[in-house]
Amino acid sequence: MNNGALVVATDLFKYFPIHAGLTSRHVADVRAVDGVSFAIQEGETLGLVGESGSGKTTIGRLLLRLLPVTKGEIQFEGQSILSMNRGEIRRLRRSMQIIFQDPYASLNPRMTIREIIAEPLRIHGLAEVRQVDERVQELLKLVGLQPYHANRYPHEFSGGQRQRVGVARALAVKPKFIVCDEPVSALDVSIQAQVINLLEELQEQFRLTYLFIAHDLSVVRHISTRVAVMYVGKLVEVADRDELYRNPLHPYTQALLSAIPIPDPAVEKRRKRIVLTGDIPSPVNPPSGCRFHTRCPVAFDRCIAEEPPLREYAPGHFAACHWVEEHGGKGPDLASIP
Amino acid sequence: MPLLEVENLKTTFRTEDGPVTAVNGLSFKLEAGETLGIVGESGSGKSVTALSIMRLLGRTATVTADRISFNGENLPAKSEAEMRRIRGYEIAMIFQDPMTSLNPVLTIGEQISEAVRLHLGLGKNEARDRAIEMLKKVRIPLPDKRLGDYPHQFSGGMRQRVMIAMALSCNPQLLIADEPTTALDVTIQAQVLELMADLQRETGAAIILITHDLGVVAEFCRNVMVMYGGNMVEYGTADQIFSQPRMPYTQGLLASLPRLDQTEHRRLEPIPGQPPNLLRLPPGCAFARRCTYRMPICDNPVPLYDFGAGHVARCYLYDERACDQRPPEAKDLPTVPAGGHTQ
Repeated sequence: MNNGALVVATDLFKYFPIHAGLTSRHVADVRAVDGVSFAIQEGETLGLVGESGSGKTTIGRLLLRLLPVTKGEIQFEGQSILSMNRGEIRRLRRSMQIIFQDPYASLNPRMTIREIIAEPLRIHGLAEVRQVDERVQELLKLVGLQPYHANRYPHEFSGGQRQRVGVARALAVKPKFIVCDEPVSALDVSIQAQVINLLEELQEQFRLTYLFIAHDLSVVRHISTRVAVMYVGKLVEVADRDELYRNPLHPYTQALLSAIPIPDPAVEKRRKRIVLTGDIPSPVNPPSGCRFHTRCPVAFDRCIAEEPPLREYAPGHFAACHWVEEHGGKGPDLASIP
Repeated sequence: MPLLEVENLKTTFRTEDGPVTAVNGLSFKLEAGETLGIVGESGSGKSVTALSIMRLLGRTATVTADRISFNGENLPAKSEAEMRRIRGYEIAMIFQDPMTSLNPVLTIGEQISEAVRLHLGLGKNEARDRAIEMLKKVRIPLPDKRLGDYPHQFSGGMRQRVMIAMALSCNPQLLIADEPTTALDVTIQAQVLELMADLQRETGAAIILITHDLGVVAEFCRNVMVMYGGNMVEYGTADQIFSQPRMPYTQGLLASLPRLDQTEHRRLEPIPGQPPNLLRLPPGCAFARRCTYRMPICDNPVPLYDFGAGHVARCYLYDERACDQRPPEAKDLPTVPAGGHTQ
């Protein structure tokens, strides 16, 4: 699984401590990422999906070392990035970039678009002063903006245009790997499609590798090569895109897919929805054993007592579920359970 | 008689840059017990429509209409006191973010009781019983215990269920739900939508569901109104809208959506350009600037065209007079008469 991978995360943990009281005593941890391993191959898009509190955004930040790791190992191009010093990290950031969800909050309102896009060039010394303007123009064109946009401020742009600026800034340093953290969730549907197409075109043109973090499974299906599903700090299933959507093994993946309404009433009438009971558990105090057992329609004793490992049930198709293991690698048929 | 009838609703906001037209001459009808989805992107006027009907907009807004009648009563003629009686009692509303629409310093029980004591005139103990009954209905576990809890002690999905309990506590005839599941995770969204459908079957309330999610509309609504630039651009049953959209904007929206059940990778077809500037809405079709079929006639105000069986669209492509202006790819479209039940 790790051969030739661009990014490899091994047994990754991230706990955010919770302090309380006058002495700021450490009382508990938010276990945002709780033992996660995966690899991202060069040129692919790994879709990372999960609901709020699943830890997907934290994973993106850990990979870029925007957050310190609690435990575990991350390799980029075969090198451990956790042991790097500040200078090495800065050089690393030339290869890995991030696009944020909220194009309003991630652009400095006091900087012009030119300054925003030129900043990474300046920091990394990637362009002579004379060439900066030229490069900014080139980047603007690349993301479908006009040269005169360079003199404007972020507030003069619509959401979709701002996200294009965010993409241009990420591309300025010619990265190999981009973490796209919910890049289209804040955009209207007609604009969302513009940005998705742009990301796809740029990937093809520059052989980019994406980690595409999203909660919208329709968008993830569209853009991803492989998909990883998270639930309360753990990976519960990883598979090739079509395999995952055709043959979801984990009961949570099945429920998640069935919960997405399809914009076609004829299809909707035929579908049987699996409606889970209960809420998503808190990552401060996750359930014992399998974290999904409190909402799982097929949970049994073992699920409460023992944590299921992520196992490969078909080539490239991993799932963490005792039920699947005890039924020869088949997923339950939840739609038929009343 | 329809439950709600709106004719030529126009809402403008005074801003520093000039008047912003948020709703621009909207007319529609809603029957008792109906489920109508209003879809559109940010700024299309869907939320402002609801707030205008409920008279919940601030002083910067000017609302005019030839008619807003609810149950045969003329809402604009009502005094503020009469409107207060209608709001929450006959027409209830739930919003996107249940945290900001619940009072953080009152318990859930107090908030549900307040509505039923005010509108139904129940005593303290009866109001409490009613609150427990409503919480039970929206499937909050241990309702008599949770009554004393504050909003922050509930999860997002539970808060939205509390909002629904509160909205339905006085048996309203119309529930307006403005993006009720947008802030929720998908598995929780499925719970809330299922709950709303169950409660509607039980109470027979009409629902206006305002959303940008076409999937939610396909799942939940019988009829759909598509809004763009402050007006309805297409109206029909969900089947009509999704299987045979007539307005190029509706077609564009559907083509730009990635679908969960798509097996082949296809390029999405985005709608080019940006939504219209509400400070300077054109006199003609608001979508013309982004439309691939744009014709010279589109610069004139556009009537609705009637496709039969209640399906209407605001687009000159179907006008007999515009046949010679049609682009080649639209040559074979039918022509239909102007008009329709909503105009």
